[in-house]
Amino acid sequence: MSSAAQAALRRSRWLNAGSFLALLAAWFLLTLPLVGGKPLVPPLFLPSPFAVADTFATLLKNGYQGKTLLHHIGISLFRFGVAFAISLVTAVPLGLWMGMNESVKAVLDPPIEITRPMPKLALLPLLIIWFGIGEVSKIVIIVLALFPILSISAMQAVRAVGTRKIQAALALGASRRTIFRRVIFPASLPGIFTGIRVSIGLGVTMLVGAELIATTAGIAFMAMSASDFLLTNVVIVGVLVMAVIGYALDLVARALENRIVHWGGKEG
Amino acid sequence: MTTPDPVAPVAKASFEAVTKRFGSGDDAVQALEPVTLELAANAFVCLVGPSGCGKSTLLNLLAGFETPTSGRVLMEGRPVTGPDPKRGVVFQQGALFTWMSVEENVAFGPTARGKPAAEAARIAAHYVEMVGLGSFARRYPYELSGGMQQRVGIARALANDPEILLMDEPFAALDAQTRELLQEQIKRIWQETRKTVLWITHSIEEALFLATEVVVMTARPGRIKARYAPTFAQSRDPAVVTSPEFVRMKAEIFGLLREEALTAQRQEEER
Repeated sequence: MSSAAQAALRRSRWLNAGSFLALLAAWFLLTLPLVGGKPLVPPLFLPSPFAVADTFATLLKNGYQGKTLLHHIGISLFRFGVAFAISLVTAVPLGLWMGMNESVKAVLDPPIEITRPMPKLALLPLLIIWFGIGEVSKIVIIVLALFPILSISAMQAVRAVGTRKIQAALALGASRRTIFRRVIFPASLPGIFTGIRVSIGLGVTMLVGAELIATTAGIAFMAMSASDFLLTNVVIVGVLVMAVIGYALDLVARALENRIVHWGGKEG
Repeated sequence: MTTPDPVAPVAKASFEAVTKRFGSGDDAVQALEPVTLELAANAFVCLVGPSGCGKSTLLNLLAGFETPTSGRVLMEGRPVTGPDPKRGVVFQQGALFTWMSVEENVAFGPTARGKPAAEAARIAAHYVEMVGLGSFARRYPYELSGGMQQRVGIARALANDPEILLMDEPFAALDAQTRELLQEQIKRIWQETRKTVLWITHSIEEALFLATEVVVMTARPGRIKARYAPTFAQSRDPAVVTSPEFVRMKAEIFGLLREEALTAQRQEEER
């Protein structure tokens, strides 16, 4: 990397940190009794960072409504994890198949494309009738949202594999099976990972949406329930925990991506 | 169908009155007029011609990526029906397996053809060494320069020990200095291995420097316009390009190609 590029990178790091600190400072300024003993924004609307930190510690120790904070986080992660795993192992192979086979694509593309723009959360009332208010309806709604993204990204990744790479493999004597396993699949991985990262963001959103309705555990449930009692501190802890979960999942996906598809996008 | 005459030497590969038309109806493009061409064993045949003249189509036909509209493409007297490891292909760029290291790329052919991993690795090491990339065996294509990437492509094709090497403008995307060095390397490799080569290029100099036979093609639809049998390929002296004979032949082919390039340009403007 050139020194100019390094300088630009350092500069943008500083700006990143600065903008984050400015937000934090604004939070302090608005919520601490700096002038005349009363904060600018009453704690009911926005508690101070210290109060939120206190609440976080209490929730960790005593839990919320008889269940520990970690229990709520665990339930949420469980729902997300199961739904994500189901989507991954069904949608990606199907997408690969659609990319390889024109007939399979012709059959499966219309239902996926037609339902794709539909907001899946709208189906939740129906799913609750079908599957009840237990875990199944929540997992199904997340799977429904992730499936089209993962399958279409896998399909497009296959279709974008360069003809020359496939011709090269053919001319080297590779069988169809070998070409799929050692050329088409690895060449599709960067595209599949793009789908994975998009679906993590959407999956967390769906999780929160599903947990806001008809449930008794989960981190979004905790925030929603606390809102009924005007426990703003707990609500903010819930929001921050969800933000951290979303961010952490994206970090994990990015780390895996950098490791597994280290060549990503770079031509050779 | 006739069986090959046992007395006459069978050409390594041949095109018999091959034509190729792409598309149909009004959009159809006649890429090749009947082309008849033989590649003798151990020959190094260079095809030169203006853009879009069907050079690459000829190569793709022999590789087995395309089928002729009429005529026959033969390999040792038998029709070509599809890609075959006997005919190694080197592309201009973008054909390396970017997720594999240099040695894995080169070992791909032997492994795909069922060689045990250890043997494939040994073969790969040999050819990686032959193209001078021994110390880059563990690197990935995106870590290499364009010239090195092309050497990987050449080593990968050679690792299958093919009978014919088909090279589609392998050096076209490289800078002039890199290209000259690689031309010398390819000449050395050809002198060592004596593979039959079909090489496509825009560069007359490259063709004269490397080829035992230079085939000049017309603008689309491609036909053979002229053939030359230069002897510079036998030389080991890079300075051969300054000999009067070389310069004279180059000027002559340049004249032929210029006419065809002008025709090709008019064709493009009329479209």
